[in-house]
Amino acid sequence: MEAGVALDPAAHGEPMTTTALRATPDLATLLSRELVAELLTLARSKGAELAEVYGEYTVHTSFSLEEDRLKTTAYSVAQGVGVRAITGEQTGYAYADGFAPDDLREAARVAGRIASGAAGNGKPIAFRVVQAPPPFTLERPAPIALDEQASVALIQRANHTARAHDGRIHEVTVSLADASKSFIVANSDGVWADDRQYLSRLTVTALALDGDQRQQGFAAGGGSVDAGYFDAVRTPEAIAADAAGSAITLLGAREPEAGAYPVVVSPGWGGVMVHECFGHSMEGDTIRKHTSIRASQLGQQVAAKGVTIVDSGIVPYSRGSFRVDDEGTQARRTVLVDDGILVGYMWDLLNARLTGNEPSGNGRRNSFRDFPLCRMTNTYIEAGPLAPAALIADVTRGLYCKSLGGGSVNPADGNFSFQVTEAWQIENGALTVPVRNATLTGNGNDAMLKIDAVAGDLEIDGTTGSCGKDGQWKPVGVGQPTVRFREIIVGGTAT
Amino acid sequence: MNDPQTSEPIAPPAALEALAADAVERARRAGADAAEAVVQSSRAFTVCASNAQIESLKQSATRGLGLRVIVGGAQGFVSSTDLSPAALDDLARRAVALARFSTPDPANAMPGPLEAGTPAALDLALYDSAVLALPADDKIAMAIELERVALAFDPRITRVDRTRVTSRDGTTALANSLGLTRVSSGTAISASIVALADDRDGKQQTGYYGITRRWLRELPAMEEIAREAARRAVERIGARTVPSARVPVVMHPDVAASWISEMHDAWSGESVIKKESWLTDRLGQAIASPLVTLVDDGRLPGGVGSGPWDGEGVATRRNVLIDRGTCAMFLYDIYHARRAGTRSTGSAVRGYSSVPGIGYHNLYIEPGAESPDAILKKVDRGFYMDDQGSFGFNSVTGDYSFQAAGFWIEGGAKTYPVDGITVASNSLDMLKNVAAVGNDLKWDGDVVSPTLLIGEMTVSGGG
Repeated sequence: MEAGVALDPAAHGEPMTTTALRATPDLATLLSRELVAELLTLARSKGAELAEVYGEYTVHTSFSLEEDRLKTTAYSVAQGVGVRAITGEQTGYAYADGFAPDDLREAARVAGRIASGAAGNGKPIAFRVVQAPPPFTLERPAPIALDEQASVALIQRANHTARAHDGRIHEVTVSLADASKSFIVANSDGVWADDRQYLSRLTVTALALDGDQRQQGFAAGGGSVDAGYFDAVRTPEAIAADAAGSAITLLGAREPEAGAYPVVVSPGWGGVMVHECFGHSMEGDTIRKHTSIRASQLGQQVAAKGVTIVDSGIVPYSRGSFRVDDEGTQARRTVLVDDGILVGYMWDLLNARLTGNEPSGNGRRNSFRDFPLCRMTNTYIEAGPLAPAALIADVTRGLYCKSLGGGSVNPADGNFSFQVTEAWQIENGALTVPVRNATLTGNGNDAMLKIDAVAGDLEIDGTTGSCGKDGQWKPVGVGQPTVRFREIIVGGTAT
Repeated sequence: MNDPQTSEPIAPPAALEALAADAVERARRAGADAAEAVVQSSRAFTVCASNAQIESLKQSATRGLGLRVIVGGAQGFVSSTDLSPAALDDLARRAVALARFSTPDPANAMPGPLEAGTPAALDLALYDSAVLALPADDKIAMAIELERVALAFDPRITRVDRTRVTSRDGTTALANSLGLTRVSSGTAISASIVALADDRDGKQQTGYYGITRRWLRELPAMEEIAREAARRAVERIGARTVPSARVPVVMHPDVAASWISEMHDAWSGESVIKKESWLTDRLGQAIASPLVTLVDDGRLPGGVGSGPWDGEGVATRRNVLIDRGTCAMFLYDIYHARRAGTRSTGSAVRGYSSVPGIGYHNLYIEPGAESPDAILKKVDRGFYMDDQGSFGFNSVTGDYSFQAAGFWIEGGAKTYPVDGITVASNSLDMLKNVAAVGNDLKWDGDVVSPTLLIGEMTVSGGG
């Protein structure tokens, strides 16, 4: 499955890591190859076709500032090992918090009971280390390089800027949360992969008050970034100004007009629409089980001509990127839609095996406490030919969505909705007044067909997104250039 | 199939209590002025079925500890699943070191035994040994039964997206350096299913239904749960959008429950202190129709959200948030009660890996006198909303704007299924416009409501 690798790790020393700096212990000292091999054998002792061991040690830290006070500084460790056994379409899973060998053996036995036969052949597993190159390299990962004092300084800078932005800013909450994760994944087919992953996120929430009016703005920065990101790419001051500016704009905003009309969505985080409206219906589990309408649409037109949709786990510095996924498959770029035509799906190991496809680096899990699911990484619409202004210029009456909040979809029936936190009314080709509390709704089955213009200003927002599925949350990136839908139902109270 | 449930008993409560007390002592030795440890041990067994067989089985056992310290008035927090003595000492040192980066604040505090109060002697009925005794094979059979019944309900039900049966049990212990110790255990069992019905043009309609209970005998038969999900999916076949209009909206209990779950943060003392709540300055005012009484009750016997004490060890109680239309109180944990010059309302919630925050236990609207049918009959032309999207609430303004599905009402009866619309208003307007409260309160989870009639909301559609 991973091209060009068939190496015995024992002959090549330690598996590669993306950095020499270590916030977490060397997992190899907690989970030896011999023990992993024993657990895989135990998990297959009832005849399971495939067994997998996933060991993890993750440190989360957070600093949060509210009401001008650093309320709490927090440090949390999550560590343990999960064992999965697969037989046919069936999965057995068990885990232990920690690395005590007896607990892990018990987990392996429990997972293996999904099968009910006899052990397969007992030949020892020769592990092959997955030699995937890192999609980008961090010199000084922020979670490692930022000590407590540097972290506090960043959030104080954001707090100061947000409060100074406007006299109507009443309250500011700033948080810096980061994670350093080490993991090992190995399976009975001989895959052995490990990695270290780093995430940082600085968020600012600003509350503006004006008489009876009360509005909140939110902005974030971060990703899988170096410490220098917060000086050179997106500063605390820029994040704070975005949050405070949004809150102030919303004070003067009006309620949206209810109805169906043209909607232009801003680049970057606006890509949450393609993630929800389209991406979820392309995940391999829903394709294999035929619960997605997309299962029968390979080769068909599913989006407007000119629309190309990609899922890529190798977007530099995004929180949705990684070297190998949580099943040991190398991250890659998968074209889902090429010029409107459905050309490929996303696959995790289980669903790829059952359908005769190649895993595409989309097997992801929340932690060692969960078995992997087929998940998106960074999902985006590729750049088109138009100037962004051209998408607004010929709209007589419409909505420009500058900033979206959350969105959701029911993948089986396709119904989606998005909260638009800041929008602008389009009147005769110009943005006129700000609009708040708009909700966009429709059906994902035809939403991508309603795109009638794509601009060239592609941005991928890898700073803040998290996607939930079956109770598991994973960091993701989303992106798009400025995109226009010829008609979407806009919810609001004005008629 | 062998029984995969481990035969080992979950950690005895006394051992967890001792572990919490030990962590507090280590924190004191590391230099904490005050310390509080929470230890949680939990176990869960989940089975999902598909194609009349197991799709996945998952067995989990988690044990973790959270340690909160106050040093010189400043707070630090650490948590881990490594509970070895050396790891606990390391955690204690880190907690004390981290606290020095926080701002000293006289309101940072933990409750002593007197302030925490005595949990009611009432038997909360949190623990059902029958949940633990239920064999794995029975749970597997239940999940398979859910699928079988749904598929047999109607020929248009051709697939079931997911059936799930979960049993869990857990024990939480808390100790603090003021001498407070608490321990309690509970169980839960839940069953849920998503049924899919074939609609025109390859479209599918979904019907979800799920129930969580603490007691096995209170869980309805799988047949009842599966038939309800299947009925919901089939009913939706042929759904279409409607033109935009301002009309009365009848909220199904699930939709009404989602609304009060979105609203609850407005009663949080933290949101009120920061003026982030749309109820700021409205204490004692009429904010709702006199028909509305909203309650958060932590002591409801058998309640999924019930517990004898809250996340800081304070005895839980019955808090009336809206009393016949009047905003009657706000909710506080120890910190925000100190800030507001009042007492904790027993409203701190937390897992072992987080600091306490203000939340709810069992949140519900008290039932009224009218049957759901009688409420429907009051509506000449309107919308019956029984499903919604996930995002659409503004917690600062109370603005409500959700993707919705349900039925169009004409002449007091449901006519045809509707989707592809949104329903919008503001929560204060909605509360004041509650025109009827149903008598159909059912305890399906920890946030529940009877059917509600809202006098007017804006439906936005494509017609």
